[in-house]
Amino acid sequence: MELFVSILALGSIYALLAGGIVIVYKASRVVNFAHGELAIVGAYVFHSAGFLTGATLTGPSLLVTIAISAAGSTLFGVVIYLSLMRRLLGRPTFVAAMVTIGLAIILKAGIVVIWQSRSVGIAIGRQPLYSFAGGGRIAWIDLVSIVACVLMFAALAVFFQYTPLGRQFRGAAENPLLAAQRQVNVNLILALAWVLAVFSATLAGVLFGSRSMLSPQSTIIGLSGLTAALVGGLDSLRGAALGGFLVAAATYLTARLISPTLAETVPFLILLVVMTWRPWGLFGTLEELNRV
Amino acid sequence: MRTQSPYLLVSYAETNRVLPNPYQRVMVSVIVAAIVCIPFVAGGYFLHLMNLCSIAVIGAVGINLLTGYCGQLSLGQASFLAIGAFTTAILAQRFGLPFFVAIPASCCAGAMVGFLVGLPALRFRGIYLAITTLAMHYAIIYVLTDYQAVVGPSASAGITVPAPSLGGFTLNSERGWFYALLIVAVLVVMFGINLSRTYIGRAWIAIRDRDIAAEASGINVPYYKLLAFTISAALAALAGSLGAYFTTVVTVEEYTLELAIVYLAMIIVGGMGSITGAVLGAIFITLLPFGVERLFEVLPWQLGTTAFGIEQAAIGAAIIGFLLFEPDGLIEVYRRIATYFERWPFRYRELKGGSGR
Repeated sequence: MELFVSILALGSIYALLAGGIVIVYKASRVVNFAHGELAIVGAYVFHSAGFLTGATLTGPSLLVTIAISAAGSTLFGVVIYLSLMRRLLGRPTFVAAMVTIGLAIILKAGIVVIWQSRSVGIAIGRQPLYSFAGGGRIAWIDLVSIVACVLMFAALAVFFQYTPLGRQFRGAAENPLLAAQRQVNVNLILALAWVLAVFSATLAGVLFGSRSMLSPQSTIIGLSGLTAALVGGLDSLRGAALGGFLVAAATYLTARLISPTLAETVPFLILLVVMTWRPWGLFGTLEELNRV
Repeated sequence: MRTQSPYLLVSYAETNRVLPNPYQRVMVSVIVAAIVCIPFVAGGYFLHLMNLCSIAVIGAVGINLLTGYCGQLSLGQASFLAIGAFTTAILAQRFGLPFFVAIPASCCAGAMVGFLVGLPALRFRGIYLAITTLAMHYAIIYVLTDYQAVVGPSASAGITVPAPSLGGFTLNSERGWFYALLIVAVLVVMFGINLSRTYIGRAWIAIRDRDIAAEASGINVPYYKLLAFTISAALAALAGSLGAYFTTVVTVEEYTLELAIVYLAMIIVGGMGSITGAVLGAIFITLLPFGVERLFEVLPWQLGTTAFGIEQAAIGAAIIGFLLFEPDGLIEVYRRIATYFERWPFRYRELKGGSGR
């Protein structure tokens, strides 16, 4: 039971990361290699903001910290789009992917320079929610992770399905040129995609930071998120959610049953299997794949 | 002695020249002469930097053949380097084989791994291929980490490599290394330039520009893609092997994803699809961290522990800056300056559709 909840909580984090990657990919066909870095930088910012508003992270100071983080990540998403991605429209998408690699290096270096590579933890929700007879326990943060993930995906589903802007988003994702001719503001849509991506990455990073210590090496969770997105299919949000839980289950079970060092490599082994067996993922569409 | 225009070609031998006009020949001779003289004027630190540059040039030419010419985006370059370094370390240290056996063997090992990593390229292109090579990188590094833990004195100590020696002469001074690495680097550059001008190089360019059209013109696309991966990985393994001998110790921690990205940065900065560009980019990116260090020594504030971060950020900024503002790299900057002087005092605008944007 405890194992199950842990997998669900970790899976929620991976699903959130994968969701962000999928949103950007759907909107602009750009694979974002900087997602893990965005998540961890977001978590560090959250930690510092928490420090500024009072180190306890309870009650009102927690709310202020969350507000600062949300506003900061939204702003950062807009900045990334306007300063980098907007200039790359019309260029091959792998160029944009390489720019995200450059961004990843800069963000990771930012952690080294600004936070001196200190390893920090975000002390929220560490209290046990429920203790089992065998000694295992579930922390509040596990519940918060799962609820946050469900809420985020529900909100995204409602947004894409029922709101006018969401419909415009799907239209622009399918065919930007036609959408632009029907007066959809494609620039706004792409900026929105980056905002949603950075926001969900920050959320995932903060949840991750509450479970384990943050360090520049934690940015590797971005690659777990990428694997989750590929398992589900790069253009499918449903797939991202399922992929997140599958990758989390595989990683966690390997760490428990076989060896913790192998667990770090498991996402990449899954990646290789998926790429050879079903490169378009579980829910992805076949024509999305750049086949030779 | 003939005094005709250098632009009038009267034989096949002239059309096939690497350096078609006399000015270029003089310029290259001067550069080569200057480089050969460096050890007599420069200190050990500078020579050390030049040696690092030579190793980087070998690896950068390798990845440029694959990514710049054949258009296959690869994030697996660091794992090829690691394969070369580890093969060398095992052969030289455990089996005591001399360098003239260990280095070719490392190249062969790299070529084989490159062939395996290249197999997915037959199914994917573009970003999917990059992700697959990324996964391959972590799989290879995992195996090597495991191996290092078993073979080395401890899990993190690495494997020491003895200095290469031949007939009583041991290569262990910076000056000796300078000439050895320079010769290998020049050979690799010449190999790259000549390869890119042959049928193979043109087939790669055709595959990069439009693989379906290449297939339709009778190019065996799978064969040439695998050939690109094999040759590129062999050159990377050569760089890794020489690097292992040069640094005398091999640890798996050295071969991170960042290293693969640094090699990618070299060809982005230098100019994709140009061997000269790869050389320029390799030198630029190798010297960039040291340049940043020197810059901050001059500036008033001290860096301390953040120096590493600033150096990394400089590489990231170089990648983004060149992709955004100078996508054809340093070689394009050079071409523009050369064109300016060639046409001086006239100022023709670049023709549309030419090399300019």
